[in-house]
Amino acid sequence: MTAGSGPVIGIVGNDVPRQIVLASGALPFRITGLWEAPGDRAWLDLLGAADPVAATVAEELSDADVDGIVVSNDSEAHLRLFYVLRATGSRVPLHLVDLPRRDSAGSRRFLRHQFTALARFCGGVTGRTPDAQSLHDAAVAEAALGEELERLRARRRAHPPRCSGAQALEATLAAMRVPPPVAADIIRAAGGEDVPARRRVHMTGSDHPDARAYAALEAAGLIVVSEDHGTGDGAWLGVSAAGGSVTETVDRLIDAHFARIPASTTGSGADRARTTRSLAAASGADVAVSLIRDLDESPLWDVVDQRDALAADGIELHVADHVRPGEVVGRVSAMAAELSAGRASR
Amino acid sequence: MTRSPRLDSAVAATTYQKEWFARTSAAARAGAPLALANADAPHEILRALDIPYVVNQWWSSIISAKRAGPASLAAVAALGLPDDSRQYDVLPLGAQLLPSDEAPWGGLPEPRFAIAERGGDVTHKIFEQWGRRPGTETFLLSRTGAVPAPEGWWDIVADEWDAVFGAERIDLLRDEIVELTHWLAERTGRGLDLAVLAGILDLANQQAEWNRRTRALLAQARPLPVPVTDVIPAVMVPQWHRGTAWAVQAAERLHDEVAARIDAGDAVHPRERRRLMWIGRGLWSDLDMYRAFQDEFDAVFVWSMYLAIAADGYLRRGPDPLRTLAARFVGLTDLLYVPPMSSSWYAKEALAHGVDGVVHLVADDTPGSALITAALEEQGVPVLELRGSNADPRATGGVRERIASFLRERVPVS
Repeated sequence: MTAGSGPVIGIVGNDVPRQIVLASGALPFRITGLWEAPGDRAWLDLLGAADPVAATVAEELSDADVDGIVVSNDSEAHLRLFYVLRATGSRVPLHLVDLPRRDSAGSRRFLRHQFTALARFCGGVTGRTPDAQSLHDAAVAEAALGEELERLRARRRAHPPRCSGAQALEATLAAMRVPPPVAADIIRAAGGEDVPARRRVHMTGSDHPDARAYAALEAAGLIVVSEDHGTGDGAWLGVSAAGGSVTETVDRLIDAHFARIPASTTGSGADRARTTRSLAAASGADVAVSLIRDLDESPLWDVVDQRDALAADGIELHVADHVRPGEVVGRVSAMAAELSAGRASR
Repeated sequence: MTRSPRLDSAVAATTYQKEWFARTSAAARAGAPLALANADAPHEILRALDIPYVVNQWWSSIISAKRAGPASLAAVAALGLPDDSRQYDVLPLGAQLLPSDEAPWGGLPEPRFAIAERGGDVTHKIFEQWGRRPGTETFLLSRTGAVPAPEGWWDIVADEWDAVFGAERIDLLRDEIVELTHWLAERTGRGLDLAVLAGILDLANQQAEWNRRTRALLAQARPLPVPVTDVIPAVMVPQWHRGTAWAVQAAERLHDEVAARIDAGDAVHPRERRRLMWIGRGLWSDLDMYRAFQDEFDAVFVWSMYLAIAADGYLRRGPDPLRTLAARFVGLTDLLYVPPMSSSWYAKEALAHGVDGVVHLVADDTPGSALITAALEEQGVPVLELRGSNADPRATGGVRERIASFLRERVPVS
């Protein structure tokens, strides 16, 4: 992975501003794990009662050819993974990014420290500390990717859609692992042909580390037109900040952090419900689906609020919870059979 | 000799707590503000503003001990919320929905304030639910990750807390404590007097010093002179009154009583041949369990985290009371659960207390449990891991049988 392409920094979680990593001359390489794999027993034991996908992230990290690792404190599972990697001795430099959720003067000061420390860490890996120019260049590249992502969202929202959910998610996940220009090409190439009219689904609940669940839903005659989780439309991807100086750019990145889609693990139930309703309405969803992995607890707490908020727009929320490794395709297929029988209202 | 009556200090503490709760409840029902605060929230601010508070986890232990846990969890489920998520933290929310004659001690009056730090993925959502109850508002503090995380923290944390927790983390929490103070002042009209807060911190430090002396006595004593089930309330009730003269006196009283029992040659179990450590939260629904292995196995639980963390975890000295208070809470839970801080500490305590085996209750919100177990096993101390919430009887069935097997198979007599 690194041969001929410069340093690579493995990214765990959704709280890392790619612009800073890119400005250091490294490639941010998001590692998301797998839905279906059971996870290595040793990692599961070390992580305890955490979202089992974290164990597959750990396995992927073990095999990945990366020069450094940055972990987000955006969920308990990721924070545990950071602690375990630190305690067991990471083979490459390891760093935690920790972003408070409440916008306040104290939080902003802490965030400045966090982003400065991230820049210092990345600079230590690459030998090039981000400066105003490299941050600007990274912002331009990331902004171009952001524009392609917006076009992809428009294709998904079209009637009929011009990109399937699985295609969009696969492209988004792939884009998190390549330089921005290549990522923009991948996003641009996703979809482009009309998808036959089907019931339109908005996805919420757990993050999707791969597109298996989407593929299973769509194989059963549905189409996923939007989502609010952190590996799809909620990802910190294509988000950038322009500023005339390092300080100004960091301040704009802080603004961007507070403007992002609230994650289930960090957002309130009320915020999550508002977001789910807003995005589902914008995409013209007929129905919403929450897939929640076993031991990924926070989405369970969102369900009542989301169901009530979506009901105001006549959208039903269907939930499959406590989904264990190995169950997702079966659980999704059973749900899809029921949903496909419903009427496409839009 | 064996002395059967309970520790006077434990009886006095529980009696005081019941009277305090009755007094506080009556005042709250008459309109006085009451706060519900998580264990890791900066209680001293509430004390300085003369706002009484009930600690969420303590109230959970009462609910659990009074066998109201299942009904409380059922009430949570009836709202459509999960009953298998963070049960220990959520029990009070469920108990609030029970009829007063089914709730322990007549139930908790509706708190005016609910205050917690954002621990894990769910605490903020539980406290969001509290904030939706009529008359209750929620304030959430940040919980940052444990960076740095030094081993041997117990020797330096009282004074060199910037090095243990990181100055930026402490600064963030300090700022948020100031915000909390303003938020409370807006609602109560009560302003913070820093001199009052400094006095409260000083009393809390005196209490911690007594707890250190008591822990040192118990680590050295052979056989164990007082039951752990008495030490827990004798330490924890005063902990929730931290910063008061009564709490300091209660800690001193426990120390003196332990010393006297050691001098008198008292033993919980004179034939003590296996010394056990219980890591994790208390099994409140079955406190008899802690004494269940004495007759058959000559095995005595000599350690719980409650006295030990009260001895090592709370002491903080510094010139700025707000920052010193932040340093007390910024990583308190990390000391218990985050490796290598936690693992090195448990190993140190196991060796100091001469334990022969460890029962490790691994809850769903405690990271690094396997590394704690590994650190102990590396020291030659066998460990039995039990997984499940201490607040959910469904998760801890068969505990006694498993411990008995562990003792037979892995814990030789010393």
